[in-house]
Amino acid sequence: MVQPKRTQISTFTPVLFLFITLLIVAVIALSGTQAVSADSGDAPAAQLPDNTQCLLCHSSPGQTKEFSNGEVKSITVDPQLFGEGMHSNVSCQVCHANISGYPHPENTATTGREGTLQYKALCQQCHTVQADELMDSAHTKLFEGGNLNTPTCADCHNPHADKPFDKVEDGSLTGASHARIAGICAKCHSTIFEEYATSVHGSGVLVDKNPDVPACTDCHGVHSISGPTGVSSFRLTSPNICAKCHTDATIMDKYGISTQVMKTYIADFHGTTVTLFEKIDPDQQTNMPVCFDCHGVHDIRRADDPEKGLQVKENLLSTCQRCHPDATANFPDSWLSHYIPSPEHAPLVYYVGLVYKILIPLVLGAMALFILTDIYRKVFLKRKKNMTKGNTKVIDEPQQSTSAFSQDSEQGKE
Amino acid sequence: MTETHQVVMRFDKLRRVEHWLLFISFTTLAITGLIQKYPNNAVSLGLVALLGGVQIVRILHRISAVMFVLEAIFHFVYMGYQLYIQRKKASMIPGVKDVVDAVQSTAHNLGLRKEGPKMGRYNFAEKAEYLAVIWGLIMMGLTGLMLWNPIFTSKFLPGQFIPAAKVAHGLEAVLAVLAILLWHFYHVHIKRWNWSMVKGTLKREEMEEEHALELEEIEKGEVPAPVPAHIVSKRKKIFFPIAAIVTIALVALLYAFVTFEETAIKTVPPLDELGTVFVPQTPTPLPTKAPTSTPGPQTELPAGPLTWTTGIGGMFEQRCGSCHGAMGGLSVKSYEDLMKGGKSGPVVTAGDAANSLVLNKLVDGKHPGQFEPDELEKIIEWINAGATK
Repeated sequence: MVQPKRTQISTFTPVLFLFITLLIVAVIALSGTQAVSADSGDAPAAQLPDNTQCLLCHSSPGQTKEFSNGEVKSITVDPQLFGEGMHSNVSCQVCHANISGYPHPENTATTGREGTLQYKALCQQCHTVQADELMDSAHTKLFEGGNLNTPTCADCHNPHADKPFDKVEDGSLTGASHARIAGICAKCHSTIFEEYATSVHGSGVLVDKNPDVPACTDCHGVHSISGPTGVSSFRLTSPNICAKCHTDATIMDKYGISTQVMKTYIADFHGTTVTLFEKIDPDQQTNMPVCFDCHGVHDIRRADDPEKGLQVKENLLSTCQRCHPDATANFPDSWLSHYIPSPEHAPLVYYVGLVYKILIPLVLGAMALFILTDIYRKVFLKRKKNMTKGNTKVIDEPQQSTSAFSQDSEQGKE
Repeated sequence: MTETHQVVMRFDKLRRVEHWLLFISFTTLAITGLIQKYPNNAVSLGLVALLGGVQIVRILHRISAVMFVLEAIFHFVYMGYQLYIQRKKASMIPGVKDVVDAVQSTAHNLGLRKEGPKMGRYNFAEKAEYLAVIWGLIMMGLTGLMLWNPIFTSKFLPGQFIPAAKVAHGLEAVLAVLAILLWHFYHVHIKRWNWSMVKGTLKREEMEEEHALELEEIEKGEVPAPVPAHIVSKRKKIFFPIAAIVTIALVALLYAFVTFEETAIKTVPPLDELGTVFVPQTPTPLPTKAPTSTPGPQTELPAGPLTWTTGIGGMFEQRCGSCHGAMGGLSVKSYEDLMKGGKSGPVVTAGDAANSLVLNKLVDGKHPGQFEPDELEKIIEWINAGATK
């Protein structure tokens, strides 16, 4: 007869022991690197049961939970990922507070989604800033409107496996982190992700892992993400999103991209209107084009892209025709393609401007000169005359009246 | 003190009405135009907001543009009336005398000449301004209509004409407004407040300085005799039909140009082209899991008679003991503990494995701990045989 053993650890088989050792090593390695700003996270951890108790079962592959609607969800926690992840030093019970032993209390969730949503309010205990930001987001608004598919924290951040995002010294995200973000949004916005992946930004992020290139959150915001659809203020302010990078010479010079794009956009009718709407009437519904109307929303290509680039005249014309259906082949040239007029680009516009820049000072200068001589006579010559002649004789006008004259009393009329 | 002045009638009512029409349309055009040319200026932003937004500003600009052109059409038809029927002198036409007058005026101003030049009904300063208005009307009218109809224009002209028209329109406006502020304001408001566009008359001394020649003619009685009535009515019969046709044609042309194109000014709600945004990725299917035993090496299967002490207990300890016995509820630490059962009652029904909870719990594969299949066989065998210690 095998004697029952008294202590827990003695019952571990060597394989389990290996898991636990790995876990402890990971915890030690990563403790102290946690970036959570909250004060509630660490204190209870020491008093709560050891995570090894939970991982004993939940580390075994293929653990699932079936909900009453037949949905099956994995409840396996990879101990290695967990150990390397951001919550490795957080006790399971900090979040799973209702579970203290086995069998677990019955989970009343009828669907997997409901099961996830049970934990919706937990993250804010520690991640208060991010939770506050999320409250302002389009996702939260949709959720409050009854759309349960909108993401809660855990839909984007796997609390059992995710590591913090890699950053460089100045605190900005690495290219790999940009790619990771795009992958997160792709979970729900897969069609948009596929479009993005084909774009100049998408390939820069996903293929080149270039941190200069925007991932989803660079344009849409992170937790306080605002909804781009159906909100005119997003449309009207959107050029500022693009301008953030595209007017920054430290980024654009690397790729030989003009930083005049915003200036030239605002100088033309479309940009002027959008700017005025944005500043004066931000809720104005308008079809006035912003950057993404011509360059694409998520499928933005290089201007010289041989297939879809706007430097291909047919592409530009068909873009114009979306709002100006009668536009013909000459019409796209009425837009200067973000060039500032010069003898090389748009010479006609340049020379018309030049003529006026010469004509205006010439005409006004001539006028001003004549006026100055008139003032000179009225002020200085008159005074000189007065000084030499002494009192000016007031000449009484003869009170003649001819047929063309009429009498007018100044006081009487005024 | 009441001072009486001799005054000369200078502008009839119609001319004064024309002036005020021009004043209203030009001022509106200048304000609504310049705030569009300099949209980021704080004053512009304030004015655009005050007027109710850029769309209203653009509509006001267009209304006053139409008003300006209508006034111009009227002006030219009325001019035709005066020239053809009344046979008045075309006193606005500039000539060599105007250049001479300008030079002499300047010399006089500088004290190089004792007297200023004697000038006619319209002096060189007024002619310059009148010509500037005509030039402005043509430039602004043409470029304005091009900007109003960019799609139509680019059917005939290269596309670059549109931004070039915009540059010309804007800078011509700057020139016109500055010229008005400098030249017109100096001559009729600053130098001396000229009331002729309100009262219609000028004082004699004003006439002496600015229109001495005309004054002399008036005083000499060199006023052209009025055209006899029968000649007037004869000329009217020719003039009015032509004037009517020309007027209708010009107004119709203007109407056509200002209503031709809509897509350049129409502001419609944007199309929401994003469509469905929530398209979740197909989730990775969960691995279909065959029940596997609680991790651990295979215990040696008991040989011979099956009892708790000869191996069954060891298997329970191995596969279940880490939880059952450590967390309350069912314990497998001893034969007695197992037979006592847990919170749901007994788990082993001796002799009836099919009704033993300890096995039924395991069948669906959901229980986190499991036996190896051959271990399970032995347990079933043990229970069916009476589950002996």
